[in-house]
Amino acid sequence: MFRLLFARRADWAAFTIACLLSLTLMSLGRGQQERAAWFIQHTVLAPVNALVGWVDAGVGVYWENQKLKKRLAQVQIEADEMRTDRIENARLRRLLNLSQENPSDLTAARVTARSLDRLGGSLTIDKGVKDGVLPNRAVIMPEGLVGRVEQATAHEARVLTLLHRDCAVAVRVGRSRVDGVLQWEFGERPILSLLYVSSQEDVKKGDWVLTSGLGGIFPEGVRVGTVTRVGIAENGLMKEVQVKPAVNFRSLEEVLVYMPAGSGRGPRMPSLEAIAPDSTPRQGAPGAVPPGATAPPRATAPHDSARVEVTP
Amino acid sequence: MKGLRDAIVLLVVLILQATLAHRIAIAGVRPDLLVAFVVYFAWMRGPVSGVVGGFTVGLLQDLDAPGPLGLNALAKTVVGFIVAKAGFRVHRSNVGVRFFFFLVAMLVHDVIYFGAYTGGEFGAFVRQFVFVAIPSALYTTVVVLLLLSTVERFSRTLLLTDEV
Repeated sequence: MFRLLFARRADWAAFTIACLLSLTLMSLGRGQQERAAWFIQHTVLAPVNALVGWVDAGVGVYWENQKLKKRLAQVQIEADEMRTDRIENARLRRLLNLSQENPSDLTAARVTARSLDRLGGSLTIDKGVKDGVLPNRAVIMPEGLVGRVEQATAHEARVLTLLHRDCAVAVRVGRSRVDGVLQWEFGERPILSLLYVSSQEDVKKGDWVLTSGLGGIFPEGVRVGTVTRVGIAENGLMKEVQVKPAVNFRSLEEVLVYMPAGSGRGPRMPSLEAIAPDSTPRQGAPGAVPPGATAPPRATAPHDSARVEVTP
Repeated sequence: MKGLRDAIVLLVVLILQATLAHRIAIAGVRPDLLVAFVVYFAWMRGPVSGVVGGFTVGLLQDLDAPGPLGLNALAKTVVGFIVAKAGFRVHRSNVGVRFFFFLVAMLVHDVIYFGAYTGGEFGAFVRQFVFVAIPSALYTTVVVLLLLSTVERFSRTLLLTDEV
């Protein structure tokens, strides 16, 4: 009877089976889902991923060339400013008697594939365990925090971006030092929610949000985003804070993997503004902060940016 | 032979989606070529192939999606089935019909996808539908029609039908 039914209504039978399979997969626990996804990605899809990475490198050359031309003009303008900063940095270092040891390093990695889903959420990079890229390494960009390495094989790693539900970050509001946890919540835009902020805490629109270093994965003081909306939750006890990420996840071509020298909590980023108020750029100059606003922190320099070695 | 051709076309679409789609995004809206592939595949091949193709492509997409495993598979299975059933007797080479079919099918896909993803929260669903689904469906439809007309002009071997 089943064979008869299947022969006459093969389309309906296939439809029913596929729907049931999909629903079964959806009902699996998150751990089981991740294990299944990881297994399929690294067995069935491994050759496809390699091919995609190869094509992406070729296609990326044209876009990269255009982008680099624009960046070159920008960089020339910024170079003068950086020279001034470097001199100032050396002077402040001498004053503070900071260690000359480089506490950590950054490794550049190319994004070889990104999430096929429109909502994004993950990236694959071309550096893996053999390059020192291990799970739970922080991934950053000059603009700010990208996410963390979730899993790594010998020569590639999967990065969960801030736009993934499993990538929660311990953060701190730069101006008022209020701690919270930043997590992506489903919405029409890539907006992150700052959780566990009491309604009494001082958080305002326009505040910078930085990593707090708590949790030991992300180094302290890396820029994460800007507060775009502040409201009060229905229960009146907590604030609802939305944060716009500093990084544009759609245009990521390369990322930097943060490699702490020791384990555990990353080094604290020296805050030049805090120790030398006169070092704030003048109004109207590039990087100047309007009166009353929080000074934007440096994103990629959890340590002295002049001494960072980036592997090309 | 047909299966090999289908697999090659799917591979090409996967590569385009992974390498090109984000580069041609307009105001953050990028085309979803995989839904378009499922629609076209189901339309040309019929319900059983549409269901199998939809489920397979959806599952591939689910492996990289932030949502639960199986959600894309379910949405694309349903779309593949509906398109194959509804489009069986429709004139497939007419541009207007193609535009209508791709647009409606992609909107149906997004109704299922975002409906399940938002967990029935009506406000979030409407925002998703207005700000993501409609622009993405329109953009994808235009891109796919341009792609199809280009492929039809230069080579028919990549098309999934022998009758156009």
